[in-house]
Amino acid sequence: MGAGPRAMLFAHGFGCDQAMWRHVAPEFEDAFSVVTFDHVGSGGSDSSAYDPRKYSALEGYAEDVVEIGRELGISGGILVGHSVSAMICALASIRAPGMFDTLVMVCPSPSYIDDGDYIGGFSASNVEDLLAAVAANPMAWSATMAPAIMGNPDRPELGEELTDSFCRLDPRIASDFARATFTADNRADLLKVTARTLILQCHDDIIAAEAVGEYVREHVAGSTYVLLDATGHCPNLSAPDEVVAAIREFL
Amino acid sequence: MDLLDDAPCGFLMLDEAARITSVNATLARWIGAPAAGLQGKPVSVIFGMAARVLFETSLLPHLRLNGLVEEVSIDLQRQDGTSVPVLLSGNTADGMIRIVVLRAAARRDFERDLISARTTAETNLSLEQQTGELREQFVAVLGHDLRNPVASMSAATRMLSRENLSENGIEVIRLMQGSVQRMSRLIDNVLDFTRNRLGGGIDLDVVDEPLEPVIRQAIDELRAIQPDRDVRVDLSIQHPVRCDAGRIGQMVSNLLRNALTHGDPARPVRVHATTAEAGSLELWVSNHGAPISAVAMENLFDPFVRGGREGYNEGLGLGLHIASEIAKAHGGTLQVTSDADETRFAFRMIGKRTSA
Repeated sequence: MGAGPRAMLFAHGFGCDQAMWRHVAPEFEDAFSVVTFDHVGSGGSDSSAYDPRKYSALEGYAEDVVEIGRELGISGGILVGHSVSAMICALASIRAPGMFDTLVMVCPSPSYIDDGDYIGGFSASNVEDLLAAVAANPMAWSATMAPAIMGNPDRPELGEELTDSFCRLDPRIASDFARATFTADNRADLLKVTARTLILQCHDDIIAAEAVGEYVREHVAGSTYVLLDATGHCPNLSAPDEVVAAIREFL
Repeated sequence: MDLLDDAPCGFLMLDEAARITSVNATLARWIGAPAAGLQGKPVSVIFGMAARVLFETSLLPHLRLNGLVEEVSIDLQRQDGTSVPVLLSGNTADGMIRIVVLRAAARRDFERDLISARTTAETNLSLEQQTGELREQFVAVLGHDLRNPVASMSAATRMLSRENLSENGIEVIRLMQGSVQRMSRLIDNVLDFTRNRLGGGIDLDVVDEPLEPVIRQAIDELRAIQPDRDVRVDLSIQHPVRCDAGRIGQMVSNLLRNALTHGDPARPVRVHATTAEAGSLELWVSNHGAPISAVAMENLFDPFVRGGREGYNEGLGLGLHIASEIAKAHGGTLQVTSDADETRFAFRMIGKRTSA
């Protein structure tokens, strides 16, 4: 945590952990009390806290965000969520509007599955294939990731514990998290968001396309929409400077 | 022969925006597209939907944060939509990403078989455990239920033995008494076997049937065993009650057996039952004597808990547990009050009848 008075909480998306914010979060430490965390089942979190029923929907994760805010005594804080966490953070801000009055949604999607006129980017069968692939090949999302940075002599600050858990998703939980993420439909919740909201959208994002970002802008009252030059789904890694600048400008 | 183009693995180079800058002939052949046609395209064109999400949400972050991914199981997708299972490794230098893929169909099948074998094993284990629990509960309840009829037979043979019998008759009674005792011990053994297992609810067979005869039968069975005890019965069952009469009888039997076991033998044990409109039922069994200690109160209704009087055959400690389970199954309550004067177990059940 930094020294500033106002709290700024960063939430990572599906597939990685708080390391996603490595190039972004530190930039705000001079002005804000910066907090990053791992969702249960991701990174270095305690998997014994996992309850399949609670985490079968994004509300379970949102509840955790609110709990973190309550634990830290946050009031009038800023929530920054990437990917699925953009929606998790929106849900958290709806649950606790006094706790988080400002919301930054990076590559958000309220629903990944196409539905009538709504283009989420995935067909229902795409998502079923995806979930089947996660279930059939859980290693892809989890254990094989870990050795990549183990024993990296250039990064002595990364302790054994952190390197061991980097971007590791518990294979059993990966399946549930994927299901909760890709089958969620929180379009109706967008209308309930009262926080001051910034939407950051990339070009060529196969997971949350521009039309989806525009949909979010149209349904979150008074929201600000910024189309970044960055491409892909992870501008916090591929274009951190642009992300930092856009958030600074908004705040 | 070219080192890279015809190598037995696929090579791929991506720019900072994850677009394909070069691809070798082997990989292009696996994908079923000309190498030239793949250049400049986003890398997602070689993947199916699931692999795209994996690549975007996990592999790219890794490559950007750590500069390396190794041994990732992932599927490429041919132009015709079929999958090519591969193992993928990649590293990053100056923002450019180099990727190598090896075919891994057989290995993937093996992994898939392992996962499906594990799932099957887990499912079977869970089924087995459920079946095992049911079986244990069945055995425990059956054993418990056999105790009273066996006790009745035992009492009957005792009564018969006081009659004027022929020598042959005396011998038959003696054999019968031995058999009854043996049955009793066998039941105890079986119950011992399931002792630490019982849990879960009790099934009801709910019908409108006369309750009073069933309760009287349960009382008479125990009176026959302990004819010297003063059991005062006051039943006022005026309304039909929607319940499992057999189970209510079992509850009365368990509560009465408990009262006879723990109550002051010199003073009466009472069984009382009243009904009200809408089919509610209040039933209590009381005895006098030493009150139940605060410690014993805590787990009075847990299975296999027994009161602490030594040298007393108290049964297995299932009686009160089963009585409370029967009460729960009826949506009722079984409450106990105990002081120096009286210990009383009271069952209350609200009737669910909506029209009289």
